[in-house]
Amino acid sequence: MSVYKHEYRAYAGRLTSPLARIGVLTRYAYAEGWASRITTALFVAAFLPIVVYLVGIYLANNPLVRTIILRGKDSFISIDASFFMRVLSSQCWLAVVLTAWVAPRLVSFDISDNALPILLSHPISRFGYVAGKFTALFSFLSLITWVPCIGLFVYQAYSSPVPWADSHLRIGAGLLAGSLLWIVVLSLLGLALSSWVKWRVVATGVIFAAIFVPAGIGGIVSAILHTRWGFLLNVPVIMTQLWQRMLGAPQIMAGELTLPTGAIAAVLLLLCALSMAILNARIRAREVVGG
Amino acid sequence: MSVIELDGLEVRLGGRTVLDGLTGQLRGKAIGLLGPNGAGKSTLIHTLLGFYTPSRGAARIFGLDTRQERARIRQRIGYMPENDSFIGNMSGVRFVRYMAELAGLPAGDALERAHEALFYVGLGEVRYRKINTYSLGMKQLIKLAQALAHGPQLLILDEPTNGLDPVARQRMIHTLQEIRKQGEIRLLISSHLLRDIDDTCDEVLILKQGRIAALSNIEDERRSHRNFIELEALGSIDLFCDALRALGCECASFPGGRVKLIMPDAIKPHDLYRVAHENRVEIRRINSRHDSLEDIFLRAMEAVPERRELVGI
Repeated sequence: MSVYKHEYRAYAGRLTSPLARIGVLTRYAYAEGWASRITTALFVAAFLPIVVYLVGIYLANNPLVRTIILRGKDSFISIDASFFMRVLSSQCWLAVVLTAWVAPRLVSFDISDNALPILLSHPISRFGYVAGKFTALFSFLSLITWVPCIGLFVYQAYSSPVPWADSHLRIGAGLLAGSLLWIVVLSLLGLALSSWVKWRVVATGVIFAAIFVPAGIGGIVSAILHTRWGFLLNVPVIMTQLWQRMLGAPQIMAGELTLPTGAIAAVLLLLCALSMAILNARIRAREVVGG
Repeated sequence: MSVIELDGLEVRLGGRTVLDGLTGQLRGKAIGLLGPNGAGKSTLIHTLLGFYTPSRGAARIFGLDTRQERARIRQRIGYMPENDSFIGNMSGVRFVRYMAELAGLPAGDALERAHEALFYVGLGEVRYRKINTYSLGMKQLIKLAQALAHGPQLLILDEPTNGLDPVARQRMIHTLQEIRKQGEIRLLISSHLLRDIDDTCDEVLILKQGRIAALSNIEDERRSHRNFIELEALGSIDLFCDALRALGCECASFPGGRVKLIMPDAIKPHDLYRVAHENRVEIRRINSRHDSLEDIFLRAMEAVPERRELVGI
């Protein structure tokens, strides 16, 4: 019988598990993210540096290239912690751009159309809603951060003429941990700020501002008070220092400007806690508010 | 089993008591929720959905406590909010399917039922259009479709005819009447419009200042007042009234020859004409009047309910 001839009937089939319903939110959020051509363009742009790094690793490890182009000299590029620090930095900052574009798409549609009362009247909690959106954004960011970074690491281990991976495992672990830490912070921050602002374009600007405005304020504080603690507001600086320590790369900033790892961890924890508090407050406020 | 059971339910928001000791059992197939603005209708609905936690007492739906079994309750409920609430850049069928999947239906079943629900409410032909291109009436119907798609046992509708033109309103009322007639789904309908409740419901809960002002079965109320007569007559009205009282009628006369009376079931209208003839009274106009929901509502609004007390009507 055609569907349009059906009378209303109760549903008597099987039901999915509560975890699978979080997966439904993730799936629809993922589709929403990919619905934009700009998302595709950003992904392509995020993979361009990976191609360059891949070529670099290939050239550095290829004996034929070394013989013909470098004429037996040492490689023009050394594949070490500093190289992977550049890889990690470039991908993680491209992840900021992607977050600023994708995160508002995942949340703002629900908020601007006041969909939360209907969404949350289904058997899904606020936590489930956030978990679904978080998983979608996390997987978006994974595709351009730790996945290609680990891919490059594996390729270097494969193509190196001498055993390389065993002696550089710290780089691999650092790439994975540094990327995961950053995309967790970014995902929470992106969702929190997107839930705070109703319009997508404004939300995109607010995400950039939340990262770079405090950095400027921190710089001013440090300059005026002659203290290094102002840099704790500077997310690019604290993340760079953390990644360098994780990968075992040389520290760029001078000794006096170096921040303790504990203080950096505390700032990141605070940022995550603040983001979760904003998410909880905003979503709770909107689940029963009309128009 | 009662559909909704309220047991001294108290809800406080922002330090203010919004629902104050509601007690009662709602058993009707279609329950109307009435009350002036600020009476606590929406708060009661949100509490039933688990958005608000009772500060005292309890509310149960199909015997499930709203505080402890929120997910199981939401599984059995379809909710249509008052205001616009949808994802505008999705097509109708995709949105309804999304909501059905969130309610726990597997993707294939959700898609099939989304199509069915959209045809059922009359949006079959526009189901592939984006929702933000729908008219106001269509937007109300898509909210109804998503509430129906997962096959709920209780449908909670908050102002379902809000903003609809007469034709769209009639269509919505017809759909609700059909749902009620099929009997598979219980309805809880909150509305400012007495006529909507009158047309669709068999039980009514009237709230006033966060308390229950009346809880009654509309059909029973109507039946209990079915022999209420108003008439105008010329002649000896006092004698006429005395004769009617002798027959067992409750009778009151007013200036201008107006008479109001309640007849026992045994007395038929032609008895009135016989008594009038015997007393040389000429009946010029006669109206048989049923007690309307408006009467019930107005009586409930006039009464000042005490806490935890139902007002008899």
